[in-house]
Amino acid sequence: MGLNIFDIPPAPTPGAAGGLGLTKLRRSVGLAVRSLWLHKLRAALSVLGIVIGTSAVIALMAFGRGSMQDALNDIKRQGATNVIVRSVKPTDDSSTGSRSFVLTYGLKFADLDRFATFGDSLVRVVPMRVFMSEVRYLERMDPKGRLVGTIPEYTEVNKLALARGRFLTHEDERAMANNCVLGSAIADKLFPFEDPIGRTVMIRDNRFLVVGVCADRMPTGGSGGSQAAEDFNHDVYIPFNTCRARMGEVVYIRAAGSRSAEKVQINQVTMTVDADFETSEGRQKVRALGDAIRDMLKQDHIKDDWALTVPLDRLEEAERAQNRFTSLLVLIASISLLVGGIGIMNIMLATVTERTREIGIRRALGAKQKDIISQFLVEAVVQTTVGGLTGVVIGLAIVFGAPPLWRLVAGSNLPAQLSYWSIVLSVGVSILVGVMFGLYPAWRAARLDPIEALRHD
Amino acid sequence: MPAIVQVIDLVKHYYMGDVTVQALSGVNLAFDEGDFVALMGPSGSGKSTLMNVLGCLDRPTSGQYVLRDQNVADMTDDELSEVRSTYLGFIFQAYNLLPQYTVVENIEIPLLYQGVRLDEDTHARCVALSEMVGLGDRLDHRPVQLSGGQQQRVAIARALVNDPQLILADEPTGNLDSRTSDEIMHMLADLNRAGKTIIMVTHENDIAAWARRVVRMRDGMIESDERNDTVSFAEMR
Repeated sequence: MGLNIFDIPPAPTPGAAGGLGLTKLRRSVGLAVRSLWLHKLRAALSVLGIVIGTSAVIALMAFGRGSMQDALNDIKRQGATNVIVRSVKPTDDSSTGSRSFVLTYGLKFADLDRFATFGDSLVRVVPMRVFMSEVRYLERMDPKGRLVGTIPEYTEVNKLALARGRFLTHEDERAMANNCVLGSAIADKLFPFEDPIGRTVMIRDNRFLVVGVCADRMPTGGSGGSQAAEDFNHDVYIPFNTCRARMGEVVYIRAAGSRSAEKVQINQVTMTVDADFETSEGRQKVRALGDAIRDMLKQDHIKDDWALTVPLDRLEEAERAQNRFTSLLVLIASISLLVGGIGIMNIMLATVTERTREIGIRRALGAKQKDIISQFLVEAVVQTTVGGLTGVVIGLAIVFGAPPLWRLVAGSNLPAQLSYWSIVLSVGVSILVGVMFGLYPAWRAARLDPIEALRHD
Repeated sequence: MPAIVQVIDLVKHYYMGDVTVQALSGVNLAFDEGDFVALMGPSGSGKSTLMNVLGCLDRPTSGQYVLRDQNVADMTDDELSEVRSTYLGFIFQAYNLLPQYTVVENIEIPLLYQGVRLDEDTHARCVALSEMVGLGDRLDHRPVQLSGGQQQRVAIARALVNDPQLILADEPTGNLDSRTSDEIMHMLADLNRAGKTIIMVTHENDIAAWARRVVRMRDGMIESDERNDTVSFAEMR
């Protein structure tokens, strides 16, 4: 047959082109994929831990952040720089001495004057009288009606939006006008067909002219203790002075078979502190003022008939909860990635044993120890990277797929907010796991004696 | 002709537990460039150990091994790898192709470890080599799709891809039937005529008959070393 070796193109000069960089990397990744492809199922199973770990991190992180954002929005609705003081019926009423028919408690008008001493630190001080009251228009009435006597600044403190008409004005306040603004639900109830503006409603034997209707308002979530969940859509707002003049301080409560009365001057005072809640100085100021107001009220109120709420505390509580949640998540993620990494190491060790002969062949054909190390390291990293990326895809599918499904099944909202650094982090950690747990098997492979390895079968 | 390989007082001990096995006890040999040497001997005679040392896969306990002008005996592992990848070509009894690679890719492997950029030129060389060994129509086949003889031809092409100074063949026909063995030996003889130095381990006399020189070993020492007069007959077959 006669071999004509002289017609063959010449061999390249060793080490001349020093093929480094991207081409070499792409090549070794390609070769690693080819080797892994021989055992597709095994490779897939071995990265399952990584896949589950990363997808769990991304999904849980998104749901954690989503509920955190939900809580934050709720707090911002209440006003993050507000300090809220409420009148609370004291649990122990024996201190009133006589078994009085009328229970007197709560914030006084005098307290308002004291709050005024804080001057410019408080941008707004908004007092409120709140009590349940029937509201009637002709034969229609809303039994869930709630009367709120307050001042015009109420809109700013509570971020109240109007659907139509106007809110109460300082002129209403000064003139003790019998004007009122209806919440959206009560307006629908009393005026299902006509425009409420300009009509007159009856509240506790007084006539009030409707001057505005509020837009639908989100209820605030309750945080237990001093602050219960509130629904604002059955509110009727009247001027604070009008309320003081027309309604008096005593409210009769009709319960089944009995009557009781309470005497309360002010039910709630909402104060807005002049501070920026995004900065720590601002937060400190809000908290300091909250403490000052608390101390002041303690001085004057013998009974425990008031409660002070700083929404910012809830904000920080929510942030602390978020931090706890995040560190727990990181722990779970590290455990699952550790388990995943051990899975990779296990399979890589098996691979090295199984491919001992291949290692021997490569060594005989000129592979250095570091070539073998990089070969097996690349295989491990390719596996974990593919696993990490698969986990990201699954995680994203959960983040975007679960909320609609949840609404369909459970009927409630499942807030999710994707955090981009969780993607970067989980893929990065996956790669790192590949390096960490691939290193030992790769080192074992490189350390094999070429002769022994060649003899292996 | 200048000596391409020279070993002086080569000694190799193996330690198996407490027992020291003397695999090579003072071997002196010199091979000329362009020679075709058959290394023979019963098992345990030290011929495999000598092959491993010559193939830079193993280091001698003492003695010198000069390949061209380099003393290989006290090189580091990395340097030995470099010598293997630059100067040596291996042909094994069990072919030792990588199952996940195609014919062309198997031939490429030694270049992979030379730090050479793999491009159209290197690819063309690999294709030309596969054509030379008669596998031009099976470039994309995997080893499992090839017969033993075809696999060994791929291995020969692979051993040539880095244009080695020395080809080491370890019982290259050990797994083949006599007809295929003849084909492979024809190829090796052709390569030798084209100027390649070949050292081949075999324990079959009719295979050794292809070589120009036959070295017989026993108990770690050279038993006989003679020029092969029948070489011309072998070539005429």
